[in-house]
Amino acid sequence: MKVDIRELGQFNHLASQGAERAAKSLSQLTGVQMDVEVTDVSLVTENVLAETFTGQSFVGVELGLEGGLEGETVLAFERERALMLQDLLLQATGSSEELAQSSVTELGNIMIGGFIDGWANHLGKAINMTPPKYTEAVGPRILPDQAIQAAKNHGVFLFESKLEAMDVDLDFSLYMLPEYRQFVDLLSGTDQGNQIPVNRLSAFEDLAKEGAGNAAGQIGMMTGLDTDVDISRLRFVPLKGVPRQVGDDRFVGVVFELKGIPSGYLVVLFDEASAKTVASSMMPGGSDEDGIGTMTEGAIKELGNIMTSGFIDGWANVLGTSIEHTPPNFVHDMGSSIMSPVVGKLGQQQDYAFVIDSTIEIDGHQGRCDIYALPNERELARALSALPAQT
Amino acid sequence: MKRLETDSKPVNRRKIGIAEYAVVTDETTLITSGLGSCLGIVVHDPEAFVSGLIHVMLPSVDQARDTNPAKFVDTGVPLLIEEMEAVGADSNRLRVWIVGGSEMIQFSSTGDSIGSRNIDLANQLIEEYGLTLVGSDVGGNHGRSIEFDPATEVVSIRTADDTTQTI
Repeated sequence: MKVDIRELGQFNHLASQGAERAAKSLSQLTGVQMDVEVTDVSLVTENVLAETFTGQSFVGVELGLEGGLEGETVLAFERERALMLQDLLLQATGSSEELAQSSVTELGNIMIGGFIDGWANHLGKAINMTPPKYTEAVGPRILPDQAIQAAKNHGVFLFESKLEAMDVDLDFSLYMLPEYRQFVDLLSGTDQGNQIPVNRLSAFEDLAKEGAGNAAGQIGMMTGLDTDVDISRLRFVPLKGVPRQVGDDRFVGVVFELKGIPSGYLVVLFDEASAKTVASSMMPGGSDEDGIGTMTEGAIKELGNIMTSGFIDGWANVLGTSIEHTPPNFVHDMGSSIMSPVVGKLGQQQDYAFVIDSTIEIDGHQGRCDIYALPNERELARALSALPAQT
Repeated sequence: MKRLETDSKPVNRRKIGIAEYAVVTDETTLITSGLGSCLGIVVHDPEAFVSGLIHVMLPSVDQARDTNPAKFVDTGVPLLIEEMEAVGADSNRLRVWIVGGSEMIQFSSTGDSIGSRNIDLANQLIEEYGLTLVGSDVGGNHGRSIEFDPATEVVSIRTADDTTQTI
């Protein structure tokens, strides 16, 4: 079974538009201005679901889809944000707490209705929604059982739209998990050049996970600090959403250009404190450099170089191609600004990107490092399609 | 993607993402962040009190496969002006600020950087349309975030080291 990356882009676009409508409904009902941060889609396994939702306590509204698009949709709030939403609805409607809870359900119904609106048109078939269900759960159990089972069997496509409020902390996510087989059928296009066999997409994700493990190992070796891959995902995301997802916080890091098949970009980012910890651990006797200076820069460049080699090591072997990377470009700036020229470069050829997004925890929860790899999508599709059938 | 305010609730701040734009006819502050090689272009008609902000990514639609006009300088600027005229702005009164277009990363490919090509084309269009360039903060090798307050006609520019300047 193959997926056409243009179809995947089309569905991502529908989901983005849907999320905008859902955000607007919420704004109208609560008076809070909501924005859609980004909509991405990934093919996730049970492990990724566990990593993504672990430890958090959620309140959700779950709604099934039938007809032209089968599957499940879930509006998931972390518990304290759900309580804040109930308060806002209480203020807006002047109703009791019990009513506020049912109004969260009704709100979910309205928002998911808005989200799905437009999909039926695109598919040319009606989509029916089952009645909304109010749920509370810890971890991935907030998702429907069928979806968790599907993730176990063959992976499940997970659409996630992150919504954020302008002036209050009301960020939450809207998930859609279409039924696997029907959705793969919907994704099969006609243009051979843009198709990727589904199983190779998961194989590439495994490869990326290994790469993140290698990179974490390199940090450990260079610094003597404990490292662990917290999460690693292969997401399909509109390019313009990438800088926003990285955010406006200040980062220290390195940017590499990848040359070969696939070409692309690799960005390694540390928050300032983590950069200093890592750099200091790399120097005999530590570092007493004030702020981020040339010593930190040198250390981060050296580490970034080794991590990048470790990260993409294995790609060329598996893909049967050759991939090299440029010397490191040191960056110390707002995360979103750092990503701006990268998406600009890729944006000349594509609107969407497969982003490998890995987070490495350093020294327990003390520090972290984010790695973003953005391969050229057509070159990646070609390289993955060209692999022999048994791989 | 367009983000034109249509509901009746007063909104004080509007965030504009990459390849997006907004046009407002009130005192809503227009905000965009993460300008690296991208360009933030603010256009304002003080008499009709119409303001617009667009966050463009690349110079020209000709060099790309995408057709979202708000992604490019050469299609984004005319689009913004057209949308502003549709709500009462007069192209003869338009005042412009441009911010961004930095060269944060030295890519190995030859030719001018995306940032400098964005700036050149924006300046060329400002001249072609006969717009008044009020201020600019472009180039360099650092990122910027901007806010435009239509009431004061001031563009505030924030950089990663938390310094703010106005133009």
